[in-house]
Amino acid sequence: MSSIGTGYDLSASQFSPDGRVFQVEYAQKAIENSGTVIGLRGKDGVVLAVEKLVTSKLYEPGANKRLFTIDKHIGMAVAGLISDARAVAEVARTEAANYRSQYKSSIPLKYLNERVSMYMHAYTLYSAVRPFGCSVILSTYTEEDGPEMYMIDPSGVSYGYFGCAVGKAKQAAKTEIEKLKLKDMSCQELVKEAARIIYLVHDELKDKQFELEMSWIGSQTSGVNQQVPANVHAEAEKDAKAAMEEDSDSETEDI
Amino acid sequence: MFRNQYDSDVTVWSPQGRLHQVEYAMEAVKLGAATVGVKNKQYAVLVALKRASSELSAHQKKIIPLDNHIGMSISGLTADARILSRQMRSECLSYSYSYGTEIPIIRLMNKISNMMQSSTQRYDRRPYGVGLLVAGFDADGPHIFQICPSANLYECRSMAIGARSQSARTYLEKHLADIGNSGTLTDLLKHALRALRDSSPNDTELSSKNVAIAVVGKDTPLKELSEADTQTYLDMILSEERRSGDTAGGSDDAPPPPPPSDPPAQDPTPVVAMETQ
Amino acid sequence: MHYNSVIEEKLAVSTSIIACVFDGGVALGADSRTSSGVFITNRVADKLTKITDNIYCCRSGSAADTQAISDIVSYHLAFQKAETGEEPSVATAAAVFQELCYNHREQLTAGIIVAGYDKVKGGQVYNIPLGGMCVEKKCAMGGAGSTYVYGYMDSNFKENMTEQEVKKFILHLLALAMSRDGSSGGVVNICIIDGQGPPRKEFYIGDQIPKYGI
Repeated sequence: MSSIGTGYDLSASQFSPDGRVFQVEYAQKAIENSGTVIGLRGKDGVVLAVEKLVTSKLYEPGANKRLFTIDKHIGMAVAGLISDARAVAEVARTEAANYRSQYKSSIPLKYLNERVSMYMHAYTLYSAVRPFGCSVILSTYTEEDGPEMYMIDPSGVSYGYFGCAVGKAKQAAKTEIEKLKLKDMSCQELVKEAARIIYLVHDELKDKQFELEMSWIGSQTSGVNQQVPANVHAEAEKDAKAAMEEDSDSETEDI
Repeated sequence: MFRNQYDSDVTVWSPQGRLHQVEYAMEAVKLGAATVGVKNKQYAVLVALKRASSELSAHQKKIIPLDNHIGMSISGLTADARILSRQMRSECLSYSYSYGTEIPIIRLMNKISNMMQSSTQRYDRRPYGVGLLVAGFDADGPHIFQICPSANLYECRSMAIGARSQSARTYLEKHLADIGNSGTLTDLLKHALRALRDSSPNDTELSSKNVAIAVVGKDTPLKELSEADTQTYLDMILSEERRSGDTAGGSDDAPPPPPPSDPPAQDPTPVVAMETQ
Repeated sequence: MHYNSVIEEKLAVSTSIIACVFDGGVALGADSRTSSGVFITNRVADKLTKITDNIYCCRSGSAADTQAISDIVSYHLAFQKAETGEEPSVATAAAVFQELCYNHREQLTAGIIVAGYDKVKGGQVYNIPLGGMCVEKKCAMGGAGSTYVYGYMDSNFKENMTEQEVKKFILHLLALAMSRDGSSGGVVNICIIDGQGPPRKEFYIGDQIPKYGI
């Protein structure tokens, strides 16, 4: 980024001579410092998983979540500045609730995604505000349309995904996700993969403590977003740790 | 004048993805006197070290009651805390008016944290320069929450914020299990006061004048203890030897490191032209 | 408030309307009289109004009010369809009707029955009478004429009727209502919505309407 310091990177409402908006790119940098978040869309549902970095022992275990429920049929996982992300979650919830009260039916994820994207995009247009320092992944499952998943960037750009990753180790996570046959996989299988990937990409040396958070939505939850049940979570986490052990064993053999 | 060109407005991201204005606001918390929050299975407790601006003045308030079941202690700009506490009290009242029950602590926290977030994203605002420790009791039991100027919100088993608070946190981390399982309110308060003492300046002894204690819990509406009661609990720990070694304050009390591409720092101390608590 | 002449009186569809679900969808029916006091302003009015491709409503009360509301709801649902890319549900249409009818209940004279077909729930009927209440029914009636034929509806309506049965049921019911009620009359309009192609509208005139009474 040779244009740093030339003065074209101080405002969201200013282009650099080569046509870039640096403030948006810098906001994306904020996400690269956050714990890895992945979303996997299978044949019968979506699983979201978060590597929540724990910076102090004093925090209540299991609290301070990075997974949200936006409406009963919509889940959200966030990476980046958590305070920004909570503000986005609040906007999404308001949007979903308004839709429900106006139209007496659940908001379609395609539409919610559009609204939240537009909201985040609006914060990239003016010098009086700064872009959001977070990315969000939205998930849903309906009888009619099956599983759906979208990810929104600080720029306000969003795409639908079968599998996506964001945060510190997004590259490594993406590589792992690409190996999966997502379209044929059930939520039960996805949970195991999600846990394994989060454990795999976690950097033991740089970030000591972390909590694995997982939520799912699919036919087995009747289209209701919920935390992965404790027993399924524990099982997946156990397998993930075992896989790590195996991995490190084989590595030492190679040497 | 500025440490770098990206730190003058809250609306400007640095190339490293940092918000310097928000980080500076976090520094304001460290200028206030220390305060500690702890909880066990029945109670949540706040203790705070109060400063007096002169020999003749009274000690400033550190603990603010918000509702029957919620109180908070503050560190940083008192005036900012007053705005927040007014908002929080009105939130508590409007909830009980609408629903006829006391507000769950997490709801109040979410509301106030979102309010604080909005002032970290607008050119015409600045972040609130105050850290909050909130103690409350609701259907899920006792809670301790920490809110930062960055609008970050953490639910804690125990926590300390303010000047030299790293020492208190060291104490809390060391006795984490003991504190959570402490059987009586007296035990809990003793832990809190010991943690606070570790954070008090070397030339300051805890006294009933400069220490504030508030308790909330099961069948116990929020109550700030009288000077006499405070003295009773202080007597229990003041007889003990003051722990030596890590009374020098915490490593995190230093200002955040400047970004790598910066010119040499010219004025390393944050200048805050406001009185802090 | 008093009226000096027929001309000043509010145009009202003082009416007999009905909508009910049957085997494959919903059927709506209405008479065709619009009057202003004793004066029949329109003897062949169409009170079955299109909202979306597969949602119609029966209007009773003030013609101006109900036309305006229908237009507004049509607009809202068309907008929603454009935004979401999905066909609005009947429940949503009813919700938007209710919102308007309830919020302006002091100013409006509108009794509306919303009926239609969607992928999710099939054929549905929602009744929104004067105060802005909304309730889903298998069979709902409205308008002044309906008061004379509640007994007929209760004894003759069955769930899961065939299209032929439901048309006959509505035709006879409206014939009875029109023969007793002075403010109902003209022809009988019936609309069938079953999701198989566009809604089918029919009307019955003169001898095609059964004669009852002396």
